[in-house]
Amino acid sequence: MSDTLSPDASPATTAATPPDGSGGASGRRSGTASRAGTAAAGVLLLLALPFYVSSFWLQTGLFAMAAIVGAIGLNLLSGTTGQLSLGHAFFLAVGAYGYVWLAGDPSGTGSAQLYGLGLPPLLAFVLAILLAGAAGGLFSPISGRLRGMYLGIATLALVFLGHHIMLNARDITGGFNGRSVPALEIFGFSFSDTSPDGLAVLGVPFGGLERLWYFGLVLVAVAWLAARNLLRGRPGRALAAVRDSEVAAAVMGVPLSRYRASAFIVSSMYAGAAGALLALVFKRVVPDHFGLLLSIDYLAMIVIGGLGSVGGAAAGAVFVALMPHLLTKYADHLPLLSAPGTTGSGVTPGDAARYLYGAAIVLVLVFAPGGLAGLAQKRPRRTGDGTRRNRRFPFRTRTTSDSNPQGVEGTTPKEHTP
Amino acid sequence: MSSNAAATTRDGAASPEPEPKPEEDREPKPVPTLTVDALTVRFSGLVALDNVSFTVAPGTIHALIGPNGAGKSTCFNVVSGVYRATAGAVRYAGKDLTRLAPHRIARLAVARTFQNIVLTHGTVADNLMLGRHSLTRAGFTSTALRLPQAVREQRRHRERAAEIADFLGLGPAFDKPVGSLAYGDRKRVEMARALCMEPKLLLLDEPVAGMHPTERVAMAETIAKVRDALGISILIVEHDMGLIMRIADSVTVLDFGRLIADGTPERVQRDPAVISAYLGTPAQDEGTQP
Repeated sequence: MSDTLSPDASPATTAATPPDGSGGASGRRSGTASRAGTAAAGVLLLLALPFYVSSFWLQTGLFAMAAIVGAIGLNLLSGTTGQLSLGHAFFLAVGAYGYVWLAGDPSGTGSAQLYGLGLPPLLAFVLAILLAGAAGGLFSPISGRLRGMYLGIATLALVFLGHHIMLNARDITGGFNGRSVPALEIFGFSFSDTSPDGLAVLGVPFGGLERLWYFGLVLVAVAWLAARNLLRGRPGRALAAVRDSEVAAAVMGVPLSRYRASAFIVSSMYAGAAGALLALVFKRVVPDHFGLLLSIDYLAMIVIGGLGSVGGAAAGAVFVALMPHLLTKYADHLPLLSAPGTTGSGVTPGDAARYLYGAAIVLVLVFAPGGLAGLAQKRPRRTGDGTRRNRRFPFRTRTTSDSNPQGVEGTTPKEHTP
Repeated sequence: MSSNAAATTRDGAASPEPEPKPEEDREPKPVPTLTVDALTVRFSGLVALDNVSFTVAPGTIHALIGPNGAGKSTCFNVVSGVYRATAGAVRYAGKDLTRLAPHRIARLAVARTFQNIVLTHGTVADNLMLGRHSLTRAGFTSTALRLPQAVREQRRHRERAAEIADFLGLGPAFDKPVGSLAYGDRKRVEMARALCMEPKLLLLDEPVAGMHPTERVAMAETIAKVRDALGISILIVEHDMGLIMRIADSVTVLDFGRLIADGTPERVQRDPAVISAYLGTPAQDEGTQP
């Protein structure tokens, strides 16, 4: 322990390089190794799945992957920054329709005419993500100013606006009946059942779903790593500070509006990627999928998974995305459920799934405020200064007294000064 | 290189006027004077600060004292940009701080701590690295992609943060979650986070409040050491008179938002207005402990 402090006018003075931030981590090394082993086994299992499971499971898995990407994005905004968004479905729609419009070929005539740019699908996929980010950026005058709950209300409008556009901009969206999605293609390799036709790997026929499965895995991996890097780096710390105490964040040099808006843009880009992947799996995009309920599904994912944790968001996403599909598949064998299309006395699988994760949210909020991620960590947590409360419900309605240095209610840091 | 720079500043702090030295690398800029000029703050009718003026000379510890509700914290909040001033100015480094947003003031190397601890989730390291925010550049893209310069920057600044944690005796707790630390330690994390901003002006809002006597003495020594080692100005609000009289170079006394005394600790201690503000009676026994 040194007891002198030298002035450090230039932050670039010290040049020694011990391993990146691993001081005091030696005790945890064995745990890290076993965790890495588990992760590697999980990845191998995921890579091997298309060889063993039916297309139902592949499709359901791909829905879950899209949900993971979207949930990680919403978690950056809501879990890390403490900004509520009910408009996530809108940005999923931008990604989905954006991809279709950018990659689709123009077709039809007269009232059935559809515009499309016919770009290479991979480029269209990337541009769709950027398009969703740009849509989020257009919203930044609002997303930068409003905080917590208020942003939630404002973003609610986006869902209805989006629905209206999807129904009425028929040239681009195809209106109520939607539009079919051009298959993804990377350097001539198509992620569909054709071209190359009859592709088989180790005797297993590789159709569109099998091929998309690997694309989905790559997308999830990229989304996961990027979010983890963000959270461990400078922007992540700034976003968490905005959530925990706006005053402290501002005083430490974090421009509040800019970071709130940036979190919103990043979250929109994740939603765009999720939407584009979803479109590829569905093979057809329709307006009714991107409603308010989808936004709420995503909120349910991150609350169940654990706010602020990337792994938690993924786990919550898998839970919420799989539930309706599993219940539909096994409706015949489960009590109180009626199979879709029948007029039985039970509830439909879709409703049952919502009841289930509604109950899951209540259970999580009451018994495990850290969500699935908190349950997995199990480390003793002693928190002071109302940090527990923040973890439970991070959406602020106004600056609360714990971030207010003098306890004067209703005073907030000034943000825009000439 | 860094030890060289340390030596020059220590010399600069020791001698009354730091003479310009030929410096091979960029010399630390001189510590600017903080001038609070006729500052008035009103909260809808309540006058929290009324025409208060004082000056914090470079490299000194300046104490701001007064009974509860005197306006000390309000003054801090205006200087750090959290509150808006109704009238008056706070001049620092050629700028009027009352016109700047908090994050811009932070970029002028003005750091502060809070009366009630305000830390974020995560480890001590996370909190200290937040203090490096305005000294670092890594943006969303470079961090998400782990571009080499972002990784290097993070590593370099983490080392410096660890150094500062060591200086405050927080070395062993560096990777522990702040929620698991004792009160006194969390108080020191706040101090360390402020120091991580490499401040030229450090605002300490009741740095020893709630600490037990041994911790108080250690903190007082730390504050004096920071001033001596870094040559920075420190503005401190504190109720512990013993501590103020021991470490402060000058003292400003506020009462009900008005400035009632300003000067060296010894002079302020004997000021009749100060004694009556604290004890509520006219001064009779001069020279006794207030």
